[in-house]
Amino acid sequence: MAKTLENTELLEQTVLDSPWVTLVWNDPVNLMSYVSYVFRSYFGFSRDEADRRMLQVHNDGRAVVATGSREEMERHVEAMHDFGLWATLQKADA
Amino acid sequence: MTPFSKDPDGNLVVGFTAIEADIVADLAAQIAAMLGDLAGTRDADPLFDSVGIGGSAAIDDDPAIARLLPDAYGADAEASSDFRQLTERSLARRKVDNANVVIGTLARGDGTVVLGERQAQAWLRTLSDIRLTIAARLGIEADGDEGDTGSEAAAALHDLYDWLAFVTESLIDALED
Repeated sequence: MAKTLENTELLEQTVLDSPWVTLVWNDPVNLMSYVSYVFRSYFGFSRDEADRRMLQVHNDGRAVVATGSREEMERHVEAMHDFGLWATLQKADA
Repeated sequence: MTPFSKDPDGNLVVGFTAIEADIVADLAAQIAAMLGDLAGTRDADPLFDSVGIGGSAAIDDDPAIARLLPDAYGADAEASSDFRQLTERSLARRKVDNANVVIGTLARGDGTVVLGERQAQAWLRTLSDIRLTIAARLGIEADGDEGDTGSEAAAALHDLYDWLAFVTESLIDALED
């Protein structure tokens, strides 16, 4: 019984820790090849995955590139701003 | 310009004419100057400065600076302001440092520039910052925008903007070679 309870708490903790997302927004300036390169080199996406998200940014105006804790997403947003990409973070359900 | 290539040691090598090298160095210097105040290189409070905080409370009025240092929270002005005060100075400083790397690597002489991996990363970021700044000055705000085309100066900026895209593309190709 005690074990089950611990597991439940752990699960809840994981859910509470991961309600934030990093979004990258479309801009008319940065090259598609550059955005894809940033996604590969920074997030470690495969070429296919990076291209898929880059095209999502291009076609839909934005794409989620990471999910996790608020602090992690703040780090990602800052890193995207370093690259000159337009990124924001928000709650996943916002 | 001789496009970027990777040498056997993994360095990125490019050849610029003297005019091209001067133009890129000048543009990088403009980025460093534009962000100098926000990077805290002038009249910084030494205590805030030592930990890199002390950013502005709100996004800058200059559209180019606003684009280089955007809000982090899209729909939450208060959270954006808090985050900006903690991080803006260090972000601006990294951009100034990158621009200074570009200037430094161009200063060595005959137009041939040899970049290590870290220097190449500084170049990539500064090239993006320069193009974002030119786009803001030309009023290019959405896909398909032509921006200002009404003067010879604007036409020259457009040419520069396109040429810098070519330089960027060439650097990415060489990095992935």
